[in-house]
Amino acid sequence: MIRFFKNRIARGASQSQALALGTLELELMEILWDGGEGSVRDVVPRLSRPLAYTTVMTTLDRLFKKGLLDRRKSDRAFLYSPSFSRQEWERRRAGNLVAGFLAGPNPSRELLLSCLLDAVGEHDVTLLDDLERKIRTRRRELLRQGQP
Amino acid sequence: MILPYLVRLLCLCFASFFVLNALAALLVRVASKRAIRFAESRTPAAAARLLLALRLLPFALAILFVAGLCVPSYLWLEPGATSEEVGLLCVSLGVLGAVVWLTAIGRAAHSLFASFRHNRLCRLAGQETHVPGESSSVVLVENEAPLLALSGVFSPRLLISRSVLRSLSSDEFDAALRHERAHRTSRDNAKRLLILLTPDILPFVRLHPLLESNWAKFTEWAADDHATAGDAGRAVSLAAALVHVARMGSGPRLPSLSTSLLACDRDLSARVNRLLHAVPYRRVIPRPAVRLLRATGFLLAAGLGAVLLAPYALSSVHELLEILLH
Repeated sequence: MIRFFKNRIARGASQSQALALGTLELELMEILWDGGEGSVRDVVPRLSRPLAYTTVMTTLDRLFKKGLLDRRKSDRAFLYSPSFSRQEWERRRAGNLVAGFLAGPNPSRELLLSCLLDAVGEHDVTLLDDLERKIRTRRRELLRQGQP
Repeated sequence: MILPYLVRLLCLCFASFFVLNALAALLVRVASKRAIRFAESRTPAAAARLLLALRLLPFALAILFVAGLCVPSYLWLEPGATSEEVGLLCVSLGVLGAVVWLTAIGRAAHSLFASFRHNRLCRLAGQETHVPGESSSVVLVENEAPLLALSGVFSPRLLISRSVLRSLSSDEFDAALRHERAHRTSRDNAKRLLILLTPDILPFVRLHPLLESNWAKFTEWAADDHATAGDAGRAVSLAAALVHVARMGSGPRLPSLSTSLLACDRDLSARVNRLLHAVPYRRVIPRPAVRLLRATGFLLAAGLGAVLLAPYALSSVHELLEILLH
């Protein structure tokens, strides 16, 4: 029971810290996102480099404590599965990044907003230029075919 | 809780409506993705009709059941002028039913009021005039923000900002006007009001945003098709008008009961590409799937009619209502 509450508290503690993943953690998450639920034994052979069983077990346990994995007991082993999809994780990560900037001092907040606006504006202008080019081409085609 | 005769009837009506509307809405929600995929294979006008019908179906079924079966069975078979104990579940469902109705009516009334106020403000700030290519008068607004919209439900007005009038060529302007006239002909703003008037599954829980956004997309496409009428030159002019208006920046915020030339910026690229590679406007011959759909609809309607007319229907419904009541 104590361990359960400790885990719960640890899971809710620092969301932003939890979303920052190391290389092995990210690789394990990728394996579980692609393959779904799996035990340590299932995951080890799918790693890109040979690693000790205990290393993988510790890392999966750490991911569970960070709130990125769920687990359930099956026979004598834990089966781990991602708590949320890859898209959801990326969305949360981006949200945390933006929230970090917005919580910062004024200059960094304005910098972020102006970067975002510039990116959106450039995208819009490019898209409109592209559409206008297509319209001109189509007009020329119609003129060639003898239509006004 | 002991309730008098008529209050009991009201409670039953709202409770039955709430349960049926919720069940039918959930079924429609499950089928909506498949329906959208099917709609994509149809012409935009047919697709818009199909999605609107699907959006209104839960409401229509629930109303039909309540008005066609619940009320008559209660009035004929329930002994009059009696007070009876009503279960807490029935009262709760009745209250929920009343709340979803009030929410929907409030939402529709608010949108209508906002639309009236917006049109009045535009008329006060601008001037009513005639523009070439449009038989009825339009409201010309002295504004640099791009505005070309049809606003209002009962007597929709065409609102145009001077900047749009100045920057579009005559061909582009004519195509844009045709687009807005198509919205007026198909009464799209009235359909929007109808959607707002249909109660949600729970107050403020929107269950069909996907269906609604796709319906809005297909109404725009249908208006594009109607405006171009298969004329490739006119289609190019409309596409150019869309891009010109998009270049002028974001338009003013419009009330929900209005349709704008650029209703959804995200759809711009798809709309322009459609217009530039338009297939000739033609009448689509119903395919087997459509025939099957129509036959199913007809059979369902016939079955429902037969049930409504059957002598045992009302007594069965009355028994069901008694179960719900207690």
